[in-house]
Amino acid sequence: MKLLRKLPPEARLLLPAFVVILLVVAVPLLFSLYTSFTSYRLVRPETIWNVVWFKNYLKLFGNSDFWWAFGRTVLFLTVVLNLEMLFGLALALLVNQVTRGQRMLRTIMMFPMMFSPVLVGFQFKFMFNDNIGIVNHILQNWFGVTEAIPWLVESHLAFFSLACAEIWNSTAVFAILLLAGLMAMPQDPLEAARVDGCTPLQAFRHVTLPFLMPFVYIAMTIRSLDVGRAFDIVKIMTNGGPAGRTELIWTLSARAGYEDARMGYANAMSYVAVLLSIAFTVHFFRKLNASRQFLNEVDA
Amino acid sequence: MKNQPFVASLTLLSTLAATLVMPTAWAGPYDGYTLRVKLIGGEQYEPLYSVIPEWEKKTGAKVQIVSSKSHFELDRELKQDIASGKIDYCLFSNHTNFAAQYVTITRDLKPLVPADFVSKFSPRVIQQSTIKGKLLEIPRHSDISELYYNKKAYDDPANKAAYKAKFGKDLAPPQTWDDVAQQAKFFAKPPNFYGTQFAGKDEAITGRFYEMLVANGGQLFDKNFKPTFNSPAGVKSLNWFVDLYKSGAVPKGAPNYVWDDLGNGFASGTVALDLDWGGWASFFNDPKSSKVAGNVGIIRAPKGSSGKRTGWSGSHSFSITQSCDNPKAAADFLMFITGFDAQMLEARRGLMPTRLDAQQAALAEFKAKNETYLTDVFNTFAAGMREDSFTPPLIPEWVEVSNSIWPELQKAIVGDKTSKQALDDAAKKVEALMDDAGYYK
Amino acid sequence: MTQSALIIDRNPALARTLETSPPGGALPELSGLDDEPVKEPWLPAALLMRWGVRACVFIAMCLIMLPGLWVMLNAFRTNVAILARDSIFAATSYTLDNFRDVFGMGDTAGIPVKAYFVNSLVISVTSTVIAIAIGLAGGYAFARYKFRFKKTLFVGLMLSRAVPGIALSLPVFIIWSWLGLIDTKVGTIIVYVAMNVPFSVWLIDGFFRQIPKELAEAAEIDGCTRWQAFWQVEFPMAKSGIASAAIFAFLTAWNEFALASQLTRSTDTKTLPVGLMDFTAQFTINWAGMCALAVIIIIPALILTFIVQKHLIAGLTFGGVKG
Repeated sequence: MKLLRKLPPEARLLLPAFVVILLVVAVPLLFSLYTSFTSYRLVRPETIWNVVWFKNYLKLFGNSDFWWAFGRTVLFLTVVLNLEMLFGLALALLVNQVTRGQRMLRTIMMFPMMFSPVLVGFQFKFMFNDNIGIVNHILQNWFGVTEAIPWLVESHLAFFSLACAEIWNSTAVFAILLLAGLMAMPQDPLEAARVDGCTPLQAFRHVTLPFLMPFVYIAMTIRSLDVGRAFDIVKIMTNGGPAGRTELIWTLSARAGYEDARMGYANAMSYVAVLLSIAFTVHFFRKLNASRQFLNEVDA
Repeated sequence: MKNQPFVASLTLLSTLAATLVMPTAWAGPYDGYTLRVKLIGGEQYEPLYSVIPEWEKKTGAKVQIVSSKSHFELDRELKQDIASGKIDYCLFSNHTNFAAQYVTITRDLKPLVPADFVSKFSPRVIQQSTIKGKLLEIPRHSDISELYYNKKAYDDPANKAAYKAKFGKDLAPPQTWDDVAQQAKFFAKPPNFYGTQFAGKDEAITGRFYEMLVANGGQLFDKNFKPTFNSPAGVKSLNWFVDLYKSGAVPKGAPNYVWDDLGNGFASGTVALDLDWGGWASFFNDPKSSKVAGNVGIIRAPKGSSGKRTGWSGSHSFSITQSCDNPKAAADFLMFITGFDAQMLEARRGLMPTRLDAQQAALAEFKAKNETYLTDVFNTFAAGMREDSFTPPLIPEWVEVSNSIWPELQKAIVGDKTSKQALDDAAKKVEALMDDAGYYK
Repeated sequence: MTQSALIIDRNPALARTLETSPPGGALPELSGLDDEPVKEPWLPAALLMRWGVRACVFIAMCLIMLPGLWVMLNAFRTNVAILARDSIFAATSYTLDNFRDVFGMGDTAGIPVKAYFVNSLVISVTSTVIAIAIGLAGGYAFARYKFRFKKTLFVGLMLSRAVPGIALSLPVFIIWSWLGLIDTKVGTIIVYVAMNVPFSVWLIDGFFRQIPKELAEAAEIDGCTRWQAFWQVEFPMAKSGIASAAIFAFLTAWNEFALASQLTRSTDTKTLPVGLMDFTAQFTINWAGMCALAVIIIIPALILTFIVQKHLIAGLTFGGVKG
């Protein structure tokens, strides 16, 4: 206690946050870093002391399946995040146009956020089932499609289906943040732009968008922070299949870790996934700071 | 206190009741003991647990279910427990095909369970529960797949005539897997109706490929555990799946199907033939859950080119942990829930008991009640278990082996690789894995 | 003077916003160009645009609603009707059996929904409250104090959230089992607190930055202690920021699956999303039952969101943007 008193107030205020992060994130990560240098197998606890140094990493980097999964993960994240941003922006702009019943609209807009990703996985797996799924049913009955489209099998379609599920689940986060941005937006510059004879499109491009950019990056950062949640969706919808066509680092490492019980190897893979997530987050964080600075300069 | 007389009389009453009840409570040999168990959860498995209170009453012990999860989650949980070294329960739900992974925490049951109790069980299943001379588990019920067919499709006069005209044979449920392929292609009218279907991912497709391989005279491994499934028999087996998929006789989504998709597909009335588990029998014939209710036929699994039937099987079971603090109580409980009465409870729901006496009694019951469908189902599945059943190799690496094989099988099925190439690649992976695990030293 | 007015006083951009917005609304209900059709020279064009917007909003809302409504609808339909793709207009395909089954009033054993619900509620609410308390302390420290490595610490804190749950699940499990935290509510709560602290710190930090230091300083001059000044002046002004951080934290905890499925095992600790898996067995998935439980999970979250969404928007607006 005495030691605690000696600390400066800011340190005392920050202490709880860092203690809990240390306990739940930092220590476990150090532990898994260690195991990634061992031949640790879940069902043989004694193997945790069997240090193999870089063997897991070498095996990993020499594995073409892993690199495919890595590339696919980057592609998936990029595509999904950007589409969510675009749809979220469109949605926010639309809702912002409506003056009456906006409270209701905003609640509807956030409706998909209430769905746990694991549920979204089951839901879209059922909807996209080629034989009994509702999507094919609608296409066949109303749009005259005569074949059963294998949504979860054909490689582009499977990717598309996964992206659909993820986008449906998470676009709301973008929409709500961007809507908040639009609401905070000063009207004067827009007014001025209109007086100067800008078309609505030009006004959007040169006035609204720059103001919104920090919000866009905040949303991007937040989403890239928890995009790992998409694992639940992918795991249930395709679990990386068929024929590895939708294999992402997460599904690959979960299978290696729990089913094959090769934890050392799986943790090596996880580490790459962690670094990837961090890279995405840092990237958007930088962008965010840059656009904040820009906004502050304009403001001043 | 206001209601003191009431409290007093209550105390008196309970003392009285306790004296009355006590003799029976004392009779329980495990009075006051709490048996901690991990049981497999889910609709198919939980009705059995309704007998637990009976055992509690009989012995005075309490059963605490510390975890109740689906098979795959339970598997992960057991592995986590092994990893953390904290095994604070006595009994857990096991499965013959996965038991080898948990050998380190499992007790040999031979000293605990009398031989005459074990002798009541199907010898083949007991043999499948024994690894390196240790009896690791007492089986509860068995799973094997037999062929369900949609009678509507087979009784349809137009179908009959067309089939006869095309192949010069009468349309009848198939006896060989080649017949299945021929009929499946004949029935298929995608996207509204399919000839057959198969599970296309995870252990499900490895298992289906494996049983086809055996029926075609092949084997996964030679006796030194070198993979041999890329043999001509292997290629022929895989080609069966590839050919049906390419021809559109199975749903295009099959590579992403697992068991629930298959069951739902057949129940929706859009599939003619379905090799599936016994647990579905009541589901398929229940108008509340199935469109084919009343039109379900069942026959033995067809034969492969070697004349053998397919018969990939396994049994759900119970095991006792090494760290169990009261193995006697655990064994008593184990024998209670795998006893005759308990097995009858499951048998009446259509599950295949592992005790031969329960098998016979259940069959007699169905016959007496004139339940022809259930009698048929039961006979078919019992015959399958008795004559055709085989498990995958009972090695701890089975799951890993399967995970190396199935993505390659899928690649062949969806056309990314030829069958030979896919099997060669899978064999290479499996060999590396087995080498890693120390089999070739 | 209301708190938001106080903020607005110090924030010229927002003051401008509010001036131009119609009075009465608690929130600036901003609108685009079609707000003043009278001034527009081409009335038909404006009308067309307005209806165009309405049509687009309608289509967008349908796209958002349908997949979710489909789940909610299935909760009231029989499994066989769903699988056989019976028309959704066939009244016979509707039933309350799924809910009866879920609550154990039908012929199946049912699942302990009530226990799961209570667990979910306890875990989500407790972890949210703690995360917000910690976030409040942390956010305040970042906003009000100057210290070394501030930026690094801040980014470090944020990055801790970027670690995917799947990478954490096993190590957390093993450490938790050493600490005896497996299958306890406390164990799950601690993990959720850690998940939600970074974002809470961020939002709250941004919020306090918007509140001028001078206000609290003035209160201190008037004889308040720093502690009193915080609670009486700064805290009330940060309310909507805290509310929006709280709703995000709550939703995250309420819907989290990957970690909860590892850390909870028995009826005493399993949360609702983990309970969804009770409907999957080795061979079957009871889709209708799952949908019924899904409805039970979604409704409370939806009501909560509807109530607090005003604060949510306000909180997100003011917090986080300015660096």
